[in-house]
Amino acid sequence: MSMSSTRRQFLARSGAAMAGLAGGVDLLASTASAVELANQADAGDPSLQQPIRPRVAIARDEILTRGRLTQHRDLLVKMLNASIQRVADTPTATEAWRLLFKPSDRVGIKVNTLGLSTQPAVVDAIVAGLRLADVPAENVVIWDRFDVELAQAGFTLNKSGRGVQCRGTDGDAAGSGYQATIESSGEIGSSFSRIVAEQVDALICVPVLKDHNLAGASLGMKNFYGAIHNPNKYHDHNCDPYIVDVVSHRFIRPKWKLTVCDATRAQYHAGPARHPGFAWPLGGLIVGTDFVAADAVATDLLESQRKTKGLKSLDEDKRPTKYIATAGARGLGVCDLRKIERIEV
Amino acid sequence: MTPTPLASLFVDPDADPSPNRRDVLRWCVACGAAGAVSHLPIEMTLGQDVVEPAILPGPKLEGVARHKALFWEELEEGKIKCVLCPRECEVADVERGYCGVRENRGGAYQSLVYGAVCSANIDPIEKKPLFHYLPGTPAFSIATAGCNIECKFCQNWKISQYRPEQVPSTLVSPDRLVSNCASRDCPTIAYTYSEPVIFYEYMHDTAALARQRGIGSVMISNGYIQEKPLRQLCTHLTGVKIDFKAFSERFYADTCAGELKPVLKTLETLKEIGIWFELVILIIPTLNDDPKEIKEMSEWVVKHLGPDVPMHFTRFHPTYRITNLPRTPVATIERCRKLALDAGVRYVYVGNVPMHPGENTYCHNCNHELIRRVGFRIASNKMVNGKCPKCKTSIPGVWSQESALAFKPRAAASQAGPG
Repeated sequence: MSMSSTRRQFLARSGAAMAGLAGGVDLLASTASAVELANQADAGDPSLQQPIRPRVAIARDEILTRGRLTQHRDLLVKMLNASIQRVADTPTATEAWRLLFKPSDRVGIKVNTLGLSTQPAVVDAIVAGLRLADVPAENVVIWDRFDVELAQAGFTLNKSGRGVQCRGTDGDAAGSGYQATIESSGEIGSSFSRIVAEQVDALICVPVLKDHNLAGASLGMKNFYGAIHNPNKYHDHNCDPYIVDVVSHRFIRPKWKLTVCDATRAQYHAGPARHPGFAWPLGGLIVGTDFVAADAVATDLLESQRKTKGLKSLDEDKRPTKYIATAGARGLGVCDLRKIERIEV
Repeated sequence: MTPTPLASLFVDPDADPSPNRRDVLRWCVACGAAGAVSHLPIEMTLGQDVVEPAILPGPKLEGVARHKALFWEELEEGKIKCVLCPRECEVADVERGYCGVRENRGGAYQSLVYGAVCSANIDPIEKKPLFHYLPGTPAFSIATAGCNIECKFCQNWKISQYRPEQVPSTLVSPDRLVSNCASRDCPTIAYTYSEPVIFYEYMHDTAALARQRGIGSVMISNGYIQEKPLRQLCTHLTGVKIDFKAFSERFYADTCAGELKPVLKTLETLKEIGIWFELVILIIPTLNDDPKEIKEMSEWVVKHLGPDVPMHFTRFHPTYRITNLPRTPVATIERCRKLALDAGVRYVYVGNVPMHPGENTYCHNCNHELIRRVGFRIASNKMVNGKCPKCKTSIPGVWSQESALAFKPRAAASQAGPG
């Protein structure tokens, strides 16, 4: 593959899995269009007739594990931009950001503040990247379920309408942050956060690389349980297929452009709550545009760490990440590690 | 969430068997119950039980109302296992159980809805429905957010299927709730609308206090509770109504995210305890209206619970996640009633069909009409000291507050001593 791909090739890679989309799943209009565009334009290019391998970048620097993460803001920006540039295969990071986001986009950054939380410094680096794409600060909202959990995780709430916004769905009057209607998707029936349903066009998911006592791993797809009003109803059967049902929904899947998994301070066991005994100072970021591939790679890292520490695999611990395979089987992305291009940054 | 306007209560676009306003007024006048009309707005509502707790003014709850939970076990690495309901959720630190209102905080399980009242009404006891429990009396009815199953036909899903933070609530201590109930001359507190099992601690403490002050407590529940907490709770309750969703595991799994077997166990336990209880079966076209199933259910009731446990077959109307099915035909409800009567159940009622003769209570011995009802209102009650005035047969039920408060649960068979 050439060092720099065309926009069509990148978009095709981003939505590679769409080609094998299983029945019964709503198509995501924007990515589908992109794939269609790429397929049409490159119909004569034999290389694009082959399955396209999504890229997932793993950026690590031990320095990130030392001191406070806010001290390493510049390094985080550098690592993130390098990762996105490699994933998008563009000459510059700016071009990569612009490939993903338009200046008119209203971008929702879904963080995870339950238990071991997304680090605000990682989100700062993402916001810096969005500036490269000329997305106005006012168009960016950092969000999760609760104001209180965002604040406890170190985020500064901002509902002023000026600058980057930061708020929880449940932050205002009780219940007002969710749509009044119930949306059905597969087996779930839920009200969605008005933020994801009505107020953003593009999503960046910023989970934490961490173990989960029921789902096996709490990563990008699981993070969107924070977008529905009743996640407590959907933890049976290792959250499968419920997680996939949530992210398949039209409010999420078509908008989800980028995953930046915060692996600066990971946890390989006893999650999702913070448990110092299983802390894993990885000092890294896992970045991808195929959200299934990003979760698959992150899980592989988690499994490796568990093995290193002499723990059972998630499967042996009766917590297999079945939902990742389900997402792959439904064509939401690529879950087979052999078909994912893993890039060390 | 406001009470349904009067006019809309009598507009039923597809229900020819249901009476119109004029019919109801005419009937009420005819039977001497015209005075009840002023109460019809809330009582005649088929669904939408939820109103703001205006009768319990108090501080609006910010966040949640934490209280140490009962019935859980410690597991490794800070996890806990909830043993309140049959679901037995294993919950990691910072996570919640299926009900959404019980949370693990640092290895200790907490209720998040202790005193967090989101709905409060004074309803006729017939609305629960309890037809053999102090007929014609008001029940001070309250709920918090949450439920431990998910019925796709839930009429109160806007409180039962939400987490406490998402539902406006008022903080009401057990003492204040009981005092309010007493000041309004309600002989009973009903824990209802959502699922009381999930606010167990609040219900338990309130019922204990109410009993001390001469007020009974009835739980309106899906029966999804383990035996130990149920027995402990029944030392304070004076009556129970169980929503018996269907007689098939498949229905419970597909439509309610639950299981039938634990509910059957609960019913047998209630029978063993000796507390008064009644059953409600909401009949949904094509889902649980198979005559064979109704017959088997009724036969099970007679065999395991006895013929005196009343069964109420009620009409479904489309709501929540089942909006593609029609309202239950009245003929279907009538057929269910007949099947249950044929199986030997002595008191079988038709529900959500105001003015239907199946709303009335007839003596199981001589078939004499004992209580005539209009919706949830008593039009006439001819019983004398809990007996049929014609043949003097004792009618099963709780007919006085004294007998309600005198109830003492029988010990479990395994706990009873020899002899």
